[in-house]
Amino acid sequence: MQQREEKQLEASVESLISRVAHLKNSLQSFIYKLENEYDRMAWPSVLDNFALLSGQLNTINKLLRNEKTPSYRNQVIIPLLLSPDRDEELAKLTEQRVHVFSHEIVPDHLRTKPDPEVEEQEKQLSAEAARIGQEVAQKQIQTLNKLCSSLLEKLNNPRDDRDAETSAVRQNKQWFNPIDTTALVAAVGFGKGLSKCRPPASVAPGHPGQTMMTGGPTLQQVTIGPSGHQAGIGSSVAQQQPGQPGKMPSSIKTNIKSASMHPYNR
Amino acid sequence: MEAPPVTVMPVTGGTINMMEYLLQGSVLDQSLDSLLHRLRGLCDNIEPESFADHELVYLLKGRQGNPFILRARRSLAHPTAPWHLRYLGQPEVGDKSRHALVRNCVDVAASHSLPDFLNEMGFRMDHEFVAKGHIFRKGALKVVVSKLSRALVPGNTDNTEPLSLSYLVELSVLAPAGQDTVSEDMRSFAEQLKPLVHLEKIDPKRLM
Repeated sequence: MQQREEKQLEASVESLISRVAHLKNSLQSFIYKLENEYDRMAWPSVLDNFALLSGQLNTINKLLRNEKTPSYRNQVIIPLLLSPDRDEELAKLTEQRVHVFSHEIVPDHLRTKPDPEVEEQEKQLSAEAARIGQEVAQKQIQTLNKLCSSLLEKLNNPRDDRDAETSAVRQNKQWFNPIDTTALVAAVGFGKGLSKCRPPASVAPGHPGQTMMTGGPTLQQVTIGPSGHQAGIGSSVAQQQPGQPGKMPSSIKTNIKSASMHPYNR
Repeated sequence: MEAPPVTVMPVTGGTINMMEYLLQGSVLDQSLDSLLHRLRGLCDNIEPESFADHELVYLLKGRQGNPFILRARRSLAHPTAPWHLRYLGQPEVGDKSRHALVRNCVDVAASHSLPDFLNEMGFRMDHEFVAKGHIFRKGALKVVVSKLSRALVPGNTDNTEPLSLSYLVELSVLAPAGQDTVSEDMRSFAEQLKPLVHLEKIDPKRLM
């Protein structure tokens, strides 16, 4: 009878060790990836790694809950031999983490209470908790509860929000205006509608509409030649500087020409 | 006459023949935040850049044929940055299998004497505008969301008036000629911006 139990224990410990080794390996490789390949790691592969870890943890939990697994809680470990000398076998087994099995470290390693550092942190926390007054604590608890319940409410009712959002979308479905698209594309493409940037002063009197027409022929028909050599005759309106009536300006001059001269005409 | 500044303009030929693949659209001012939010989610995870540029479009009119157009851009936000000179070829619409407009594209950085140089060469400014907005990237894809304004007084970029109540949205990729597969990527990206923006290949000839 006892022998069978022992065998069962051994088998379960063995399988537990192998599962933990698997988990350790995947953790190691994940940490390695995070540290060395973080710049080219894609989010899906991070998620894959998390999924793998969570799966392995689940198998371990299942194994521990299995009926055939004897309760480890009932097993007692007694240190039979303590030695202050370096134990190579032990170092190898623990991957160089533990070198000696001495009275100094054994109590820490075989303890059933939390690790000393954890215990220390816990002490600090309980000291802090004791320091703040009953009222303050009560208030904090209330705030936390309020936050949690409102968060839960939000998480439980995502549908309401989503519906509200889609109805808002429906109400306000005009995100863009095709007319604006056309106008803007024409403006960057060939300066349509940008003709107003010409100085109004240079508009010949009596022809104000010619430069002010939006998208009108002006800009697209403006040809700019050196010193008015291309000044059109008849159909063209030679522009003149207001200060020099009738005189050909020596500087460069803008001519508004008939539509047929320009490649951009309609 | 002074010797012109040494500005190299590999307008034709050159070793690299880059094409710009382009999709255009617009978004109303009130939907801008939604679009920026979505772009921040879709694009590379870097801080989106903002810009304020002044673009001057220069024409060189020959005896016959189409005028030669060059676009000079300077940053209003960084006045010391070099000017940017750009040549854009005639856009090709292509057939249905290609999802983007394609045009020849040459980009050159230039010194601050660029306007003088262009004037000396016979180029004349045709029009100008101010573009302010944001740039996003996703790999080779570039998304520019910008507000276009016209200058009320020529050359004065402080006194401007918005062209419309929308922002221009342009999705572009620079690629060697013949790589029409990039237009596939562009289309799938454009799909993700619907219904905020409908990015289309818009033939500018149709708009004239």
